[in-house]
Amino acid sequence: MSCRPRQKGPRRGVLGTVALAASLGLVLAGCGAGDAGTNASGNGEAAAGEPQSGGDLTVLLDAGYSGGWDTGLDPATSNSVGANQSLNSAIFGGLFTLEADENGENAEIVPHQAESYEFSEDGLTLTVKLREGITFSDGTPMDAEAVLWNWIRNLSSGSTGAPQLDLAQDQPVPELDQQFLDDLYAALPEDVDQELIEQRLGAIRAVDDVTLEIELATANGALVNAMPYNNLNLIASPTAYQEMGAQEFSQAPVAAGPFTVEANRISERLDLDKNEDYFKDGLPYLDELSFQSVAGDQVMYQTLQAGQGDAIEGLSSLTLIEQAQSNPQVTTTLGAPTSPYVIQLNTRKAPFDDKKAREAIYYATDFEAINEGLFGGQGDMSQSFTASGGLFHQQEVEGYRTYDPEKARELVEEIGGLTVELGTTDIVTARQVTTALQTQWQDAGIDVTIDSKPLGDVITKFGTGEWESMLQTAGAWDPAAGIGVGVRFGSTSTYSGTPLPEGASTAAEALAGGLQTDLDQVIQDAAGTVDEQEREQLYQQAAKMISDEAYGPFGIAFSPAQVVRKGVHGPGLTTPIPALAVNPGVIYERVWVEQ
Amino acid sequence: MTDTAVHPHAARPDGTKPPGRQGRGVTQGAGSGSPLLRLFGRRLLMTIPLLLAISVLVFVLLEMMPGDPARNQAGMDASEEQVEAVRQRMGLDRPAPERYFGWLFGLFRGDLGQSSVSGQPVADMIADRAPVTLELVVLAFVVSLGIAIPVALMAARKPGGLFDRATMVVAMTMLAVPNFVLAMLLVLVFAITLQMLPAIGFVPLEDGLVPNLRSVAMPVLALAVPLAAFYTRFLRGDLVEQMNSADYVDTARSKGVRPGLVLWLHAFRNSSFGLLTIVGLNIGTLVGGTVIIEQIFAMPGMGMMMLEGAMSQDVAVVQMCVFIFAAVAVLANLVVDLMYAVLDPRIRYGSH
Repeated sequence: MSCRPRQKGPRRGVLGTVALAASLGLVLAGCGAGDAGTNASGNGEAAAGEPQSGGDLTVLLDAGYSGGWDTGLDPATSNSVGANQSLNSAIFGGLFTLEADENGENAEIVPHQAESYEFSEDGLTLTVKLREGITFSDGTPMDAEAVLWNWIRNLSSGSTGAPQLDLAQDQPVPELDQQFLDDLYAALPEDVDQELIEQRLGAIRAVDDVTLEIELATANGALVNAMPYNNLNLIASPTAYQEMGAQEFSQAPVAAGPFTVEANRISERLDLDKNEDYFKDGLPYLDELSFQSVAGDQVMYQTLQAGQGDAIEGLSSLTLIEQAQSNPQVTTTLGAPTSPYVIQLNTRKAPFDDKKAREAIYYATDFEAINEGLFGGQGDMSQSFTASGGLFHQQEVEGYRTYDPEKARELVEEIGGLTVELGTTDIVTARQVTTALQTQWQDAGIDVTIDSKPLGDVITKFGTGEWESMLQTAGAWDPAAGIGVGVRFGSTSTYSGTPLPEGASTAAEALAGGLQTDLDQVIQDAAGTVDEQEREQLYQQAAKMISDEAYGPFGIAFSPAQVVRKGVHGPGLTTPIPALAVNPGVIYERVWVEQ
Repeated sequence: MTDTAVHPHAARPDGTKPPGRQGRGVTQGAGSGSPLLRLFGRRLLMTIPLLLAISVLVFVLLEMMPGDPARNQAGMDASEEQVEAVRQRMGLDRPAPERYFGWLFGLFRGDLGQSSVSGQPVADMIADRAPVTLELVVLAFVVSLGIAIPVALMAARKPGGLFDRATMVVAMTMLAVPNFVLAMLLVLVFAITLQMLPAIGFVPLEDGLVPNLRSVAMPVLALAVPLAAFYTRFLRGDLVEQMNSADYVDTARSKGVRPGLVLWLHAFRNSSFGLLTIVGLNIGTLVGGTVIIEQIFAMPGMGMMMLEGAMSQDVAVVQMCVFIFAAVAVLANLVVDLMYAVLDPRIRYGSH
């Protein structure tokens, strides 16, 4: 691996000049690409024709989110597995991928390096079969033993990208090769809990060379759906790890994905080369792929214009998306939205411990107007924690309180006035929405102050419980995965304002006593079954409970946009794929450029 | 007042007057070096408690920053166990004094520590990034002075003239434009419209002088132009004041020395003391400017590293960056002091 990243000079005459004035104010915007929700395709692309092999591509990523990989690229120790989905997809490929029709519809999890998966009838056993004959780029086999090594290590090395699995307890540990165990323990943290590892080795087994089983204590309907977002999907070469050591491996992991690491400057630039031994014939199309970390939306867009980048992943500034949509030299594709805005109301303290105050907020909020005014009507409207690109979407919820300023005023008068602090994450789009909400609420007689803070401070504020209302996004492609419904509405979640269960004065007490609210139970049941119909019904029930109790009005779902220069094509870049959590995924093995 | 009189502006960066004016000046020629070396040594020794104080201050400020760095690192969907694991990995489960002294004692042993986020040795990170920032800062000073000195001299030749007024309008405008806005304008013109320069990225010197200079051209200009405007205004004002009121100027004129030579040989020489002081004081401002400019131009320098470190409360990284920036500021001021000796013969020869 060379240590010098490739640099691309400006392409003369590729792109022209655009208006400056509107864009200058956005210089530092867009550090958390995630607060937009989303819809439909932008100026789209004409029929792309047959894919062509060759060429290179430089993708621009927001340094504040997907362009940061400070904790490295080893999936077992990285704390940015979810944010670095694109990098991981290019290097590791993944056991499963999320794919969709060209219009972004009918998204589903597709086995990739896995050949198939199956849940047992009770949902407690997941069997995963691997494709035969796949090798890592170092030539060693990607078999069930290698996947087992990765899964145990990925679950046990402290990465926040590890899913929370409720594995079966007390399963006997099968006979395992001593060399395998030695290699595994050598790759685990020194202070690892050996009992925990043995429990995991009992519950996760390699049945034969290409088959693995995971035994669960409780069914998990989102287990496979969440895989492309977590580190179980990312399988690396155990042999390479042993040869390279932790530090070097974290810089340049060896895997079986479409590309291999050529140079890595952490959180600055990652250069990848085509994996000549990739298991799919003729893929990937590109010879070289680079990811360049750039400070925010404005700089990303200018860099694309200057010809130093070919694609922007996750442009969230509305002003720049509009500019890009009217720029004939780029193709703009809005992702299929999965996460609508929600105004979370903290029912555990005044004023929103009073249901009438919460109802007043519902009646005073006109997200339709905000969609028209700020999002040009391109947002997807939702009355629950799902959006059109996600699973179990229901656009309307029976009995949902829609905009009625008269009723809002009456309620405000009835409770003797309402003063509210509305918090949000300090990014441009979220600030614009809160300002619009402030105006609407003031029209209904509600006094509003806005508290806009960086994401870290918002997280802290949630932790203290000292907040009144918070504009956030809720949901994920599968509501049980990522920052899904449980995170925003589960009573024991740090980031929820729903009432605590009876008998508990804190979330910790509720957890210790195993106490739950009715809503908790429904959310848990919905995640705890693999029956899709049952899950759908339970999520409808959860949406109705949230609406009936007025825990928080939902609004626009708007996905960040992918912007590419003309001549670049590929699933997730020029055809929408729903965002598993924040940015839409891209399947880089099939991205190609016109030669 | 003789023609070598020190101008009132010529205070040293630390607020004291130059040695020559305090009667404790350098009594031997600069060539012998020992008094200057003693001065240099004294000032270096003074930096140790200063740097220690700075390190405590930085540590306390980082500790006081709102938010839980472990939770921020872990993200919203992390479990409590995962947050605790991150906390442990970052070393935040240890008491603050233990962490501070652990870091400090490590420093005395020559161990700069490791980034609590990436696990990389801080020494390697600095070795990798310091040259980028150093090049930006040095070139920004060179360019800003290269613009300011000739422009101020020309403007001061005819105060109130067309060139002088035009210069001041431009200087005021450049002073009013924040350097990040200037950076975006430069990108719009040179990278997007003219496609002459790369919008982002850094090409190391070993990859060729021209590619290197092309990659740093816009960041350097974004840093240098506001500085140049400031220096121009300052120097021009000082020169005009000297030309209008200094006795030595009248003396020179009465001897028939041409106004241009008076300006260049006498007035500028005296004004350069003030300019030097300002340049020394500007080190901190300039280094601060690199933080945002390196972000905009994706330059892998120490400014970007410090910002990332501060955002993730990565104590080892921020401490070392601040240490180095503080040391650079102190050294720069020392160099300014030495320059006084070069510019002021009384300091050089100890004569009054």
